[in-house]
Amino acid sequence: MKDDDLKDFRRQCERSLQRSVEERMRYGFCYVYKPVLDDAPWRSFDSMAAYRKWCRENLPEYLGYGELTPLQKEILDAT
Amino acid sequence: MPRDLFSPVQAQDVAGAFEAHQVDYMFIGKSGAILLGYPGTTQDVDVYPRKDPENGARIIGALKDLGFALDHNLEDEIIGGKDFIQIKSGPFDIDLVFAPDGIESYSEAKSRMDISSGFPVLNIRDIIASKRSAGRPRDVVELPLLEAFRDVYEKDQK
Repeated sequence: MKDDDLKDFRRQCERSLQRSVEERMRYGFCYVYKPVLDDAPWRSFDSMAAYRKWCRENLPEYLGYGELTPLQKEILDAT
Repeated sequence: MPRDLFSPVQAQDVAGAFEAHQVDYMFIGKSGAILLGYPGTTQDVDVYPRKDPENGARIIGALKDLGFALDHNLEDEIIGGKDFIQIKSGPFDIDLVFAPDGIESYSEAKSRMDISSGFPVLNIRDIIASKRSAGRPRDVVELPLLEAFRDVYEKDQK
């Protein structure tokens, strides 16, 4: 992420902190259908590792629950 | 799933029902960060409850009050404290995360809990540590933003 973008985001954080908790909820919680993930009334897993495995094997890649690419690993290590 | 009932104040509804049933829990994940002021969006409420059968029974009572349809198998899983339970049979989505990534102990995490929003929320540093530990592509995108928020948030709290 570019420095200018981060500066903008920090200002966004400052504005968000001025909002009431009710406003944070109103702006922060919204329903967006996620294929597969939203298609069962409930699921349970014995471990978070089992959940991640299920996500990798069943969810569309674009939802972002899959394996990290080498670049993403690099970014994760850098943060 | 009765999505026509979706309300953005779902965290408030959860907090009210959980308090009424004396559930021991904290908000975690992005929903917890949003309550602290993080300017992001999510559709579900992530809850980190203490793992024990009595607390599980309280959760069941609270979820029923909120309008969740729970079958006997799901109730058994909640009382048994499966590490992760995702429930979509109510007015909004709720994740019960009994063993979140990167968090060693409920009692230690609770000792660092943040109640500045009026809700019990996992400390922002623990939220970030948990996301980092989960290591999913969606978390990699979010982590630099959460770190930036943490800086602003901690300065604001001083």
